[in-house]
Amino acid sequence: MSASAHADRTDERSHDAALAASGPLEEFRYDDAIVRMFSLATVIWGVVAMLVGVIIALELVLPDLNFGFSLLAFGRLRPLHTNAAIFAFAGNAIFAAVYYSTQRLCKARMWSDLLSHLHFWGWQAIIVAAALTLPLGLTQGKEYAELIWPIDIAIAIVWLGFFGGNFFMTLATRRERHMYVALWFYIATIVAVTVLHVFNSLVVPTGLFSSYPVYAGVQDAFMQWWYGHNAVAFFLTTPFLGLMYYFLPKAADRPVFSYKLSILHFWSLVFIYIWAGPHHLHYTALPEWASTTGMLFSVMLWMPSWGGMINGLLTLRGAWHKVTSDPVLKFFVVGITFYGMATFEGPTLSVKSVNALSHYTDWTIAHVHSGALGWNGMMTFGMIYWLLPRIFQTGKLWSRKLAEWHFWIGTVGILLYIVPIYVAGLTQGLMWRAIDDGGRLQYKDFVETTLVLMPLYWGRVLGGVCFLAGMVMLFVNFVMTWTLRPAKYEDPVYTAPRLSSHYVDEPAPESKLQGVLNMAKWLDVWSQMQWHRRWERLAGLFTVWVIIAVVVASLFEIIPTFLIRSNVPTIASVRPYTPLELAGRDIYVAEGCYNCHSQMIRPILSETKRYGEYSKPGEFVYDHPFQWGSRRIGPDLAREGGKQSDVWHVLHFRNPRQLTPGSIMPSYDNLLTAPLNFGTIQQRVQAAAFLGAPYNRELTEAEQMAREQAKQIAEGIVKQNGPAGLEDKMVVAVVAYLQRLGKDLFAPPPAASPAAPAAPAKPVATTASVEPKEKP
Amino acid sequence: MSNAEKMLTDHSYDGIQEYDNPLPGWWKWLFVGSIVFSFFYLMYFHMGADGRSVLEEYDTAVAANLRQQFQEIGELKPDHDTIVKYSHDPKWLVVGQSVFKSNCVSCHGTEGQGLVGPNLTDNFYKNVSKIEDISKVVAEGAAGQAMPAWKNRLHPNELVLVSSYVAAIRGKNLPGPKGQEGKEIPAWDESVTENEKPAPTTPAGKG
Repeated sequence: MSASAHADRTDERSHDAALAASGPLEEFRYDDAIVRMFSLATVIWGVVAMLVGVIIALELVLPDLNFGFSLLAFGRLRPLHTNAAIFAFAGNAIFAAVYYSTQRLCKARMWSDLLSHLHFWGWQAIIVAAALTLPLGLTQGKEYAELIWPIDIAIAIVWLGFFGGNFFMTLATRRERHMYVALWFYIATIVAVTVLHVFNSLVVPTGLFSSYPVYAGVQDAFMQWWYGHNAVAFFLTTPFLGLMYYFLPKAADRPVFSYKLSILHFWSLVFIYIWAGPHHLHYTALPEWASTTGMLFSVMLWMPSWGGMINGLLTLRGAWHKVTSDPVLKFFVVGITFYGMATFEGPTLSVKSVNALSHYTDWTIAHVHSGALGWNGMMTFGMIYWLLPRIFQTGKLWSRKLAEWHFWIGTVGILLYIVPIYVAGLTQGLMWRAIDDGGRLQYKDFVETTLVLMPLYWGRVLGGVCFLAGMVMLFVNFVMTWTLRPAKYEDPVYTAPRLSSHYVDEPAPESKLQGVLNMAKWLDVWSQMQWHRRWERLAGLFTVWVIIAVVVASLFEIIPTFLIRSNVPTIASVRPYTPLELAGRDIYVAEGCYNCHSQMIRPILSETKRYGEYSKPGEFVYDHPFQWGSRRIGPDLAREGGKQSDVWHVLHFRNPRQLTPGSIMPSYDNLLTAPLNFGTIQQRVQAAAFLGAPYNRELTEAEQMAREQAKQIAEGIVKQNGPAGLEDKMVVAVVAYLQRLGKDLFAPPPAASPAAPAAPAKPVATTASVEPKEKP
Repeated sequence: MSNAEKMLTDHSYDGIQEYDNPLPGWWKWLFVGSIVFSFFYLMYFHMGADGRSVLEEYDTAVAANLRQQFQEIGELKPDHDTIVKYSHDPKWLVVGQSVFKSNCVSCHGTEGQGLVGPNLTDNFYKNVSKIEDISKVVAEGAAGQAMPAWKNRLHPNELVLVSSYVAAIRGKNLPGPKGQEGKEIPAWDESVTENEKPAPTTPAGKG
């Protein structure tokens, strides 16, 4: 790379000659209508996302709030909240930012109005489809990637085809020679999100609305968090840094602090972020090398992230007096500050010993909300308030005072949200691991650790309501500013010369070093980063380097994860699910049980004492998708099989609080009445077989087998004095699945293969450390 | 700051300018530091040194916890009465079983049915005639260390509890690969000198 740049620099023609080589003047107009549309969508979806957030926050303190409607249960609404906040609110904000700034940074209208509109309406249709399917329980069961496969295909088309196509063609037809740093971040966003989305969403469809991911267990978990972490990186970080680099210097009217810092933190961010995903899987069945890699790259990510914060905050040098009077800058300052805090907290949480405490607790929830509300929310609000007078050509906001109010209630709302939730996370984490003087768990009953959180959860509701109130204020200001618009928008014509194909880069600077080796001089010149200037005018080359950075970093982790067999040692006694269990598992996924229950016991003393032997990689080879979860609002279920009787589960589904006073699990009474669809079981079995499950009789008689097992379980429930007539209800399938969880590890290996002993080397701790669960 | 003003680049994008400020020193060195730290971390945890992997640390924690749990019963003596007492205590038998499973199964089989070592579930013994002999064999070893001495490797309580466990599995008469070894001995003498009836314990089963 630098070799060829060097070659160019040997060409000593003057800079003036290059300028003179510009093409003829051209006229163009900017498309601000599309920016108005995306801005409106941002504000509307923002209200929706935050409203759903408040509702699910309330459901955690009032578990009967869904009034028995499964449509409104926490497990189904929580994905709606996260998807709406990320892809609808933040997504539309990104598009508004990109469409406004790219045109101006390129001195060009978006390449195609048709693509702009297809992008806008396509994306809104995807959001509506998500809002309809998620409450119906149509989901892939992977966090932030829940949307079913037809919607996934639509996302790929709209994102890369419409948005990416339009953006890159605009770059190609730009009239500004060099690309500004905001555009670099947009390029990284489009490239990386495409790669992540496509490779995490590879599935085998089992119907129009359902599918199994091609990856299983450990590998599915790895892919999911490679995706999940980098969704944070390339959907919630890089585009918002691009947004910051455009709108902050505009609003502050100050030059950006450091061009060199932009270059360095951009490339280090893009390259390092990709590696960090496994830090979501510390102490799990993921191989330890991957976990360590994830942690170390997260630690290394600290400064690249802070590079963005520094460049933002130091750009305000000499403009701090404006911050006191301008609500837009206030939003930006708080947003960037939260970015700095969240990107320090991120590496901290990625340190294994910290993660041992924080993982599965509300600490994670507090962390993502300081990022989402603080960084994404405040940056979006600042941008919209800056845009409103410009896109509606009013010259000013309808009410600057209301914007000030929004700023203060929003900031207070964030604090009211995150402070109690940090406390909740620490409290629960410490309670889970507390060991008494006798070496036993201090809080044996899980629900004890839930009950203490309730006042803190009410605090969160209050914080959420404040933040939502601010969002509504923005909506009002948006609409009222719109009413002040002129009868007809001005559509000014701009002129700029077309870029000539001929351009000579500035000559390389001379090294001022004296009396040193040529190598040192070369390094000195290199470190002045003149070479990067050339990349900035070659959009294609720049994009290729971004693709290489993202893909190479990904492959370094993905290839060993998939190819090294010792990562997932086979356990002979682990067998595929029976047809009925498979159907039950699909119900478990559809209900979103993974939003509250993990299925991954870490090799941590307090955890194996509470839940049983830690989870082994080989136990998940038939799990499509993996259901390890990320948050224990309820207890882990990885070894639930056999812990309770069948009738206990039935009664617990009907009314959790009858058996566990204080439980915040919603009632799933509907599982006892809703018929189980036996007709689709054969299809599910076929798909599982296609993905490698060694079935025999199941391949032809799955439905029959499922009915037999269901009858057996239903009869057992009656014998245990439970309700009758459940043999064709959903609940038997779910019970069958739950009773299977975690049992295979201890089962005798199948007689056919008397090879290596199936059980792990040391099943010791199990018996020694599992304590009888206290019964209510 | 005035210095910074001089360092304005000639870049201008839609009116946005950029300074040519150098990288802040603390930023640069913290970045380098985080990379250097990573190398040392990797060397420390992944160069194969004993006891540093997640699973090894976990095993250590489990062992330490077992010891902590023994505080409740104090230091046990490997005598007749103690072994008899704990061979009837389900709560502590579980601990004995866990010691057995971590150390003895490779020779005596997962259930004590024997493998290369003798079957411990029948009535035939090679080096044991009284119940307290078990703990002696465990502590000192036997058969020229074909049965190793465990006194330096097990916590004294673990030694007693595993002896109680071995005493308790007698009579299960599990079929083993080796057949009967040694001589048949009379049933354990379970008379306890003091009134040390087995303490009432909570059943380990689930309700």
